[in-house]
This record gives sequence, C-alpha cells and structure tokens, in this order.
Amino acid sequence: MKPERESAALTPSEELAHLRLLHLADSALPIGSLAHSFGVETLVSAELLRVSDLPGFLQGYLQETGMLEATACREAFQLAQTDEEEFDAARWVEINDFLSALKVARESRTASATLGRNFLQAALGLGDFRVLREAREASLESASLTHQSAAFGLVSGALGFEETRAVLAYLHQMSACLISACQRLMPLGQTEATRILWNLKPAIVEVATNSTSFTLEAANCTTPLLDWGAMEHPALATRLFVS
Amino acid sequence: MAATAKHTLQDITQEISEPGRACSLLRLNFSRDSASGQTFLADSFQEPPLKVVRAFTLEDGTALAHLHNVSGGLLGGDRLTLQVNLASETNVQLTTTGATRIYRKREGFSTTTQCNEIFVGAGALLEYLPDATIPYAGARYVQRTSIDLAAGAGMFWWEIIAPGREARGELFQYEEFAIGTRVSALGRRIAAENFCLRPMRENVSSIARLGHFRYAATFYICRVGLEAGAWRGTEDRLRELTASVTRRGEILWGVSSLVAHGLVVRCLARNGREVLPGLQAIWRNAKRHLYDREAIPPRKVN
Repeated sequence: MKPERESAALTPSEELAHLRLLHLADSALPIGSLAHSFGVETLVSAELLRVSDLPGFLQGYLQETGMLEATACREAFQLAQTDEEEFDAARWVEINDFLSALKVARESRTASATLGRNFLQAALGLGDFRVLREAREASLESASLTHQSAAFGLVSGALGFEETRAVLAYLHQMSACLISACQRLMPLGQTEATRILWNLKPAIVEVATNSTSFTLEAANCTTPLLDWGAMEHPALATRLFVS
Repeated sequence: MAATAKHTLQDITQEISEPGRACSLLRLNFSRDSASGQTFLADSFQEPPLKVVRAFTLEDGTALAHLHNVSGGLLGGDRLTLQVNLASETNVQLTTTGATRIYRKREGFSTTTQCNEIFVGAGALLEYLPDATIPYAGARYVQRTSIDLAAGAGMFWWEIIAPGREARGELFQYEEFAIGTRVSALGRRIAAENFCLRPMRENVSSIARLGHFRYAATFYICRVGLEAGAWRGTEDRLRELTASVTRRGEILWGVSSLVAHGLVVRCLARNGREVLPGLQAIWRNAKRHLYDREAIPPRKVN
C-alpha cells in the first residue's frame, strides 16, 4: 500500500514562487558566494579545524551566526510586507547598520556586504520592484552597507515567498557555501560533504524556527574563535578565498 | 538549543527598567579645569556597593578613578548601574582594584546585572582598563553597555572574561555570562556585541565558539574622525604587534578595523597570564600612534 501523504498540491503561482526561491537560494547564483570562507580558511590553516570537527563546528555556526542571520532575514522580509507606499527605509538602513556593527571582522563584513549588494542588484534585474529600488536608494544615500541576509529577506518578501521557507532557504545556502569552501580547503570528498549537509538539515529547521522568538537586537552571536579567523585572514600568506 | 537561552540581552533591558528594583547606581561626571587643563571628578552619585574614593591626577592631567565594589564582588540579584560622563576635552582612566568576581546566583534571587552608560564628549578620551571578570560556579550575569562618542572623542576599552576560578579547577561552571555592548559615534553604531555563553546548555568548546581556549578578551580602540585609510594603517601596524605575541595553540590575537572610527582586537587564550600584558602592549602602541602620548598604566590601590 502506498504511504498516505498529505495533500501537497501547489497552485501554479505557488509552484512558480517555489522555483524562484530555489533559483535565488542556489549557491551557484552568480553573486560571488563561493569566493568567501568567512574566516574558515584561517582556522584550517592554523590546524584548528579538521574534517572530523566539521559537523560540530557547523552545528555551532548555525546556532550562533545562523541565528543572527536568520533573524536579520526575517526582519528585512517583514519590511517588504508593508504597503509599498510605506516602505520603512530608515528601518532598512538601521538593520544593515546594526549588522555592520556586529560584524567586527573587516573582511567578513565586506564579504557580507558585497554579496548583499550583488544579490539585490541581481533581483532588481528580474523585474520592477519598488521596495527593492527604495531600499537600494536608501542604502546609497546613507552610505549604509547591504548585508546578504537582509537582502535575501527583503527580496523574498518583495517576491511574495513564504517567510519561513525563505529563512530556511537562506540558512541552507549559507551552510552549503561554507561546506563547499571546506571542500576546497580540506580533504573533504563529495560524498562526505553531501552527508554533512544532509545531516545538518534538522539544525537548520531548528534555527529557522527559533529565530521567530526574538528580535535582531537581542540575537546573540558568540563566535570569538571564528571572529579571530576572519580578522587574521588578511595576514595569511596564501589565500584561496577573499575572506 | 533552547530559544529561551538567547533572550538575555532583551531581558536585561526590561529588568533594569522595572520600577521598584533595588538598583545600585554609581554616576561619575568628569570636567576639565580650564586653567590647568587637568581633568577632575566634578561630581558623583554613589550607592553601595559601587564606590569611587577619589580621582587621582596623572602626570599628563588625566583623572584616574578606581571602581570599587565594597561587597567584594557581584552577588546574585545585584543590579548595578554605572554612568560615566566625560565633558569635552577631558581625559579619564577607569580601572578596577582587582578582578571582578561574580558569585553564584542565590536561590530566589534573579540574575546579576550590570548596566554601563558611557558618554565621551567632544575631544575627550576614556581609557577603561579593568582586570578580568570571573564568573564563579553557578553565576548568572548579564551586562549591558552603551557607549556614545562625540566628535573627536576617543576610547580604549577592554574586557577580559575568565572561565571561572581556574586555580581550583573550576572551568565553565557558571550558568550564564552575557555581555551586550553597543558603541556609537556621532549617533551611528560602529560596534556591537551580543556575547552569551551558557556552558550548562551549549558546547562552549565548539570551534564555532571558544574552541579549546578558555579566556576571551575584546579591546575597542576608537577615535572619532579618523578616516578609514588611517584605520587600515593602524590595523596593519597593530597586526605586526599581535602576530609577534600570538602563539598557536596557546594564545591568539586578532585585529580588525570597525565599520568606522576605530578598530577591535580579539584575544583567545588557554590561560590568563599573558592576556593583560598583551592588552597593555597593544594599548601603549596604539596610544602612541593615535595620540602621540604615552600610556600610563593605572596604579592599583589596596
């Protein structure tokens, strides 16, 4: 007997939104995601991170950095849900300025801002989205950076994706990109990389769920060792990654 | 991971503002004597256990004040507030008389909290150079710090977090240690930190957190108005120093420019012996570079 399944029929518009979300959350989207390790390259170089450490490291990374980015993604998403006439540009700038202040390592901050700017630019090329235009203008006027998680949330809201799915997709591509970086830095084969990302999915769901519980201002992110790696990345003699 | 484990910074804002709380306040206002150019403690408001006996004048006219806690440490349920206001062109050095001990949370008492509200006026310089903070087994501590820097204001601000009473083998036995820091310059945030460890609930030795290191220190170095290029140069200069004192596996030092007006130094160490000397070396180097002045280590009083 076939197992009973919930009715999961999507309407054509939901199917279209699902495909669009898959497209934008693909780590192969040409915005430069694969050029950054966010400090992991330094940890590997210093022999502080080995293949056997990866599952635990990624779990902690999701609980800390993932939680912060998920919260930012949600807050930006909700900004796009307001009537286009009432887009809160000041709050958009505030979210991004706060992320800039929290990201104390220069290279990681710049990486997040480069990816965010590229992502927003890519989305603006897909259609006429007033919220996205206003957000970009507000960032330019205030000389504020546009961080990737915030840009992803804002674009997802503007395109009418479902909020939690957008957060899940963001966390998933963030994890996939980091594992991809690890494949280039460590003796990590495709099968093992696939297994690690597969096993990480419950943690991604947990972080996405928990991120509904608090505000960006209150989201903790305690990653001193990774911060050190990101801060000292410019000092590496040989680098595969920009950050 | 429990969602509630990550609410601390939001909670303290609410708790501190609750009416009717027994809240110890130490307020210090520093001014500049126009005739001598020296900084002096113009007025203060002091409630036990927080106390400053007097301010000393250093050889360069800086006012040095020792922050005392006459109860010997922070007790469960303590709600302390420190407000420091530096008038324009003042120079102030604040230090502690020893390590800040955070005792076990007592049954029936709430989390120990400390709220620091700091304003550094135009052209003023604050040097905040405390000893380490040691959370004892069972301690629950939440600190919230807000620092506002005016035009031309500067700051050297470090904090050292110990894992516990290391000498008796008490490592990461506290319940919670959370620090929320916000640094703003000209009304815009330039640095923020939401640091929270709960060793009983999460793996603090995850490589995403502390790894095998036990001590963590953060050192903010700011001077409002310096251009980004100048900070990159300072970053490179300090990196030469931090690289010389980094010993893989034992103590790591990192340095990076903030989004504007400053930079941050991070340290992770297996033991605490080299942390304070390292911070002092960076402070001396940075002060000479940024202010063309010598750093004067604070005298300790007993």
